[in-house]
Formats: sequence, C-alpha cells, structure tokens
Amino acid sequence: MSDAALLLKAAADGEDSAWCELTALYGPRMWAAARSCGLGDSDAADAVQGAWLRLLENLEHIREPQALGAWLATTARREALQIIRREPVAVPALHPPFESDPESAFLEADSVRLLWQLVTRLPEPCRTLLVLISSEVGYQQVAVRMGMPLGSIGPTRGRCLRKLRTLISLEEMVQ
Amino acid sequence: MINDEYLLAALRLGSGLDPIPPHVSAAAREAYSLRMSGAITASPVECVATSGVRDSSGGPRLVRFATAELAFDVEVTVGDGLIDLAGQVTPCPGEGSFIDIRTLQLIVRREVGRTGQFAATGLPPGWFSLVCHRPGCRPIVTRWLRIRS
Repeated sequence: MSDAALLLKAAADGEDSAWCELTALYGPRMWAAARSCGLGDSDAADAVQGAWLRLLENLEHIREPQALGAWLATTARREALQIIRREPVAVPALHPPFESDPESAFLEADSVRLLWQLVTRLPEPCRTLLVLISSEVGYQQVAVRMGMPLGSIGPTRGRCLRKLRTLISLEEMVQ
Repeated sequence: MINDEYLLAALRLGSGLDPIPPHVSAAAREAYSLRMSGAITASPVECVATSGVRDSSGGPRLVRFATAELAFDVEVTVGDGLIDLAGQVTPCPGEGSFIDIRTLQLIVRREVGRTGQFAATGLPPGWFSLVCHRPGCRPIVTRWLRIRS
C-alpha cells in the first residue's frame, strides 16, 4: 500500500496526525493548482479549503488512493474555477469528482524537478523568461529585464512553453 | 497535452517563490475536526424549484440536499454581508431531533422536532454544511456549500 493510501486509511479511521501529514504533503501543489487559475491569495485559500472539505466528504470513497495528490490538485482547480464564476451560492457538483486531470500529475515533486531540469536546457530567451514568469514577476518587469517590448512577452511565453512541451515529449519517449 | 496554466503552476511550485501561506495550511489541518464519522451524506438535488430560482438574481436562492430517507430544502438570503438561512427537513424528523448549521467558525443548533423547520440569521459568508441529528439514527450531513456575501 502506498504512503498516500496508508495515510488516507488512517485519516478515515480517525487519526488526526495522518490528516495533518496529508495536508503537509499535498497542500503546496493544491495551492499551486488554485493559483494557476489566476486567483489572489484569499480566493486561492478558499479553493484549497474547499478541496480539503471535499476530501472530508469522500475520505472513504477515494477510488485511487495512490493518485490522491492528483485528485486533490484537480479538486482545488475545480473549486477555483467555480470561484471565478462568482456565483453567490455555489452548490457542489451533483456527483463528487472521481477522475483527476491527467495534467495534475505535473504537480508531483518528481515532475516539478524534471520540469526545471528541462527549463535549463531551453535556449535563451526562453530560459530566462520562464524563470522570471515563474517568479511572479509582472509582464512589465519581465519586459524591462529582458529588453523586450511588453506586447511580445505573451507570444514569446507561448512559444517557450511549446518548446518546453517538446522537451517533455522527448523525455517521455526516452523513458 | 499539458496546458499552459498547469505547466506554469508546476514551475512556480518548483521555484518555491509562491509557497502556501501558513494560515491556509492551518485551516486545512483544522478542517479535520469537521469530519462526521458514520454520518450519511446528503447530496445536492436538482429540482424544478431550485433550478428556477437559482438563475434569478438578487432574491433568495433555494437549494435541496437529499438522501433516500430525508431532504433538506434551504432558502439562502444574502444581505449586508451576512447570510440568512431558512429551511425545512422532510419528512419531519420527530421529537428530540435537531439541526446543526456548521460553518468553519461556528455551529448554530436549532430544534426541528415538531415542524422540521429551522432558521438562522446573520451568519458569516463562507462554507456551510447542515447536520440533522435524530434520536437513535445515524446523523445526516449535507455536502459543503459555499455562499458569498
């Protein structure tokens, strides 16, 4: 049984410490998933809290405990998207989500490390651009630091992410 | 194909420059105290009344949660930054039954034995869940609902 499955079972059996371990293990990627939707701190906190409440509702019904991290990241993202819709009363989905976004696996620690290794292989200006954008620096500052017109940052970012995806695909072919 | 948002989220996560704030982690840990072990979960139900009212703007909103044996109909009114709830549990759960209206900050308890009706006013916006406690029966708990002011 995986660590996640053991922790999940212990939390379902009433072990508070197991729940705390789950929050420490998966909280950061849930935060990243919520922030990826463009939410500010307060709304992102709300989305993450919502995802934990969904886990509480489903503690004994998670189909793939080994993929709990992906489920939580996906759930945080869905809560974030619901917040963006600004509905005064946000009724939960009729059926709780069981399927995770396949992409949420990229928020696993190993994938994050690999991703940064791949970024270092990108040519300039992509390498520096992605470092700056990942540092929460606004486009205005990125433009100044890179000596690029402001209007070209978005399109260049798109091209750089495409190059990064190509490296990811090559890496996946090798493995 | 991974989309741009997830890719950038993964890069930001790796950069360590946008860590999860401590209060968000603390709230996640505290959420465990809201676990209702052994309770039956009532899920939202689409019905003519709720789907019609939800689309309107400004007025009260109706939400229904149900299990095979019990339904909660809840009218939500948002005003002055606070939330008023008025509801009905059907069938009437009987003498000695009560409803807990749970938020992340407080629990408001209301007797519902005789009529099945309950109400609470001036609640803070945020997450809500209702629990119906009946003597000798498993509690029935609604899934969490988020209400904005």
